[in-house]
Amino acid sequence: MKGVFLEGLVVAVIGAALAFVANALSPYGLELTKNFFPGAKPVSVGVATGANVPGVASAQTNSPAETLAAQLREIGLQLADSNKVAQFFHDPRREQDWVIFIDARDGEHYEAGHIPGAYLFDRFRPETYLANVVPVCLTAQYIVFYCNGGTCDASEHAAIMLRDSIGIPKEKVFVYGGGIDEWSSNGMPIEIGPRNSGKFTNVNETATSGRAAGSK
Amino acid sequence: MMNATHPDGKRGPGDIAALLARWLLGGLFIYLGLSKALHAAEFLKVVRLQFMVTSPFLSNLIATTAPWLEVLYGLMLVTGVGLEAAAVAGRWWLGGVFIYMGINKALPHPEYFLNLVRQYDLVTSPFLLNSIAAALPWFEVYCGLLLLLGVAVRGSGLVMAAMLVPFTLMVLKRALVIAATQGIPFCAVKFDCGCGAGEVVICHKLVENSVLLLLSAWMLTGRGRSLCLRFSLFPKRSDAPDYR
Repeated sequence: MKGVFLEGLVVAVIGAALAFVANALSPYGLELTKNFFPGAKPVSVGVATGANVPGVASAQTNSPAETLAAQLREIGLQLADSNKVAQFFHDPRREQDWVIFIDARDGEHYEAGHIPGAYLFDRFRPETYLANVVPVCLTAQYIVFYCNGGTCDASEHAAIMLRDSIGIPKEKVFVYGGGIDEWSSNGMPIEIGPRNSGKFTNVNETATSGRAAGSK
Repeated sequence: MMNATHPDGKRGPGDIAALLARWLLGGLFIYLGLSKALHAAEFLKVVRLQFMVTSPFLSNLIATTAPWLEVLYGLMLVTGVGLEAAAVAGRWWLGGVFIYMGINKALPHPEYFLNLVRQYDLVTSPFLLNSIAAALPWFEVYCGLLLLLGVAVRGSGLVMAAMLVPFTLMVLKRALVIAATQGIPFCAVKFDCGCGAGEVVICHKLVENSVLLLLSAWMLTGRGRSLCLRFSLFPKRSDAPDYR
């Protein structure tokens, strides 16, 4: 039996070493020293920052939106509800990138559909996106981060990561709690493919909004 | 674990436990196979979407034969027929499952797995959290490869069992909390446990993990060592294990 334990120990040690090597060699490997969840508190099951977690909100006295707003305030972020986000979307200053949207999901989800004109910032691959995102963040008056909504908290972490790394004033940064799910269900336009691809779904809204964000 | 008896022909407590474990494992395989056969459409969807078998012919073939192969395998274990072959097949199956699960976690989005690991609140340090999420999938692939090739089978079995016990307990604990907070029956809990197979129904997941654990324990006893690369490379070692 002692031999089995020894064999197991050898397997574990060699395996652990090889696993870290494989991660380092993998093109998708994780950077070990980076904090991908800045400002995060310990996660309780089902209690992400999302507004619509069934069965969880019942234990709280505030509405889910109020709870989310309070959670965001604690980490220096502002909540933008669907009205506020629609206001930002129709703000003429968006033409000059003074109001920008940042999609905090990964490239696949972004290409499948994003808020028209939104910039992609996948915080797990910051080096790929920083060159595009930093200049516009520095000049923008309002920056709205979003992800899927619901239990998704990528928008908060991306917002904190960018805010703290390039020194964006707190009052400029908003998080859209409802995310792309709420945006889509509200019938707002969705751009498919890369930024400014010119391909949209929910075309009616795009037409009536008087402008296509993809024109930028 | 399987059919060892004392030289005088009497069964000791260990042998009886091993026999019961074999029957349990066989029963669980039969259950898994029949549940897939009875929900053939759902299993076909899993084969197409999760295993990414796009060819209709292949996916149908897998969906119709795999459940009955599991039942057959379970019957072999229960009856004790062809145990050595069953042990080798079990080793390959276990290795294959670990490789599949590991690769699913590591490629192409290890950050999904990182998010899921974070849900368990295991560690607070970002470095430790990243290390777990970065290394664990590849470690699983490595253990799976060892089993598939037949190198350090007992050691791999031990390591796998040592991983499966705490993982299963963590998943169980999380499912209990979800059931309590959402006020739903335990077996109705469905969530992505970070096990590498997407969203799972908890009761089904616990059965699967029990199967993996029992198979790991079986490997630990030295079964399934036929067709092992290790003994093909070094066939004359004096301390080579016996093939009971």
